Amino acid sequence: MRVNSSEQTGVGALVSGVPSVSVAAHELKSPLVLLRQLSLELLNGDLTDSQRQRILEQMVSVSEKGLRLTGDLTKTETLQQPLFDCYPLNPLSVTDDVANELSGLYKAHGRTLRVSRIRHLPPVVANHDLLRRILLNFADNALHYSDIHGVVELQAQLQRERDIVRLSVRDYGPSLPLASWRKLTSSLSNKQQMQARPLSSGLGLYISHQFASAMNGHIGAIRHRDGASFYVELPVSRQLSII
Amino acid sequence: MSSPAERVVVVEDDELLAEHYLRILRRAGYEVYHAGHALTAIDVIDDARPHAILLDVLLTGTNALVLLHELQSHKDLASIPVVLATNLADQLAMDDVESYGVKRILDKATMHPEDVVAAIRWATRS
Repeated sequence: MRVNSSEQTGVGALVSGVPSVSVAAHELKSPLVLLRQLSLELLNGDLTDSQRQRILEQMVSVSEKGLRLTGDLTKTETLQQPLFDCYPLNPLSVTDDVANELSGLYKAHGRTLRVSRIRHLPPVVANHDLLRRILLNFADNALHYSDIHGVVELQAQLQRERDIVRLSVRDYGPSLPLASWRKLTSSLSNKQQMQARPLSSGLGLYISHQFASAMNGHIGAIRHRDGASFYVELPVSRQLSII
Repeated sequence: MSSPAERVVVVEDDELLAEHYLRILRRAGYEVYHAGHALTAIDVIDDARPHAILLDVLLTGTNALVLLHELQSHKDLASIPVVLATNLADQLAMDDVESYGVKRILDKATMHPEDVVAAIRWATRS
């Protein structure tokens, strides 16, 4: 069922439950399972050269995904402000980095990650690495919910009245079932551990929330008729206006 | 003249794993179709009229049990044998899912590619 109006929920400061070790283990299990299956196929399969090459490329991108997750988990454990200085940075430099970093993974899935550029976007106060990891999480998640051969967009939007920049990852796929969306919204407003899309444990969103909070930002989501957007909002740097 | 290939529908939302299943089942001689979302699975199954279904449990939009329920509600689809391939194998008992046409449960963490083919072969023959 598709819903006529888009629905939006803020996620910032709404996540209090810390994911358990079992949740993290579950998230890491999927890439390991896939790597094992592909390895077994390489060992035993009667494959053409192009199939072998494709499987090897897939193994690389799956490994990188698993490593990103372990890196993120490590960072959430050591998330202290002095370690992650925030400074004025051009958000489009981060979206470009993310698009480059995930281009292989998207290609392996037959999809495209596109950066929608807007001119005159002011700098935000953020940490490049944390912001990059948030967008990687969103874009990685969007990959699994976008239409086959579809496009996922990294969007940037200035909200002048609020002095913030919103960076979104927009996918175009089946609309999140309303029941699942309500469950997400409800669990957020009740300050429970985040329930993300049905397939997900919510670990990626939890990590993203932690990273956004460390930068005085917050994350949120919008449900569209034809997909969803997950976004992070960050304060605009006032450095230029002071000058 | 050789007999037409048996058809299998793979319902798996991890595309790379689905591609792996498609490769190994095609190599084994099956005609294979793929549904990446539970929402589209029933249409694919309805169109393909497969001899067996290879089904993941945690699916985008819903889970396998919802799909199994729906299959049971269609007279012409209810008898299609199902093989579950899941990370939750240790939490599922055959007794609980047998009535839905499930013939075998494969643990993704321990199965081998040839186990998938063997399970589908067993399901279509039983």
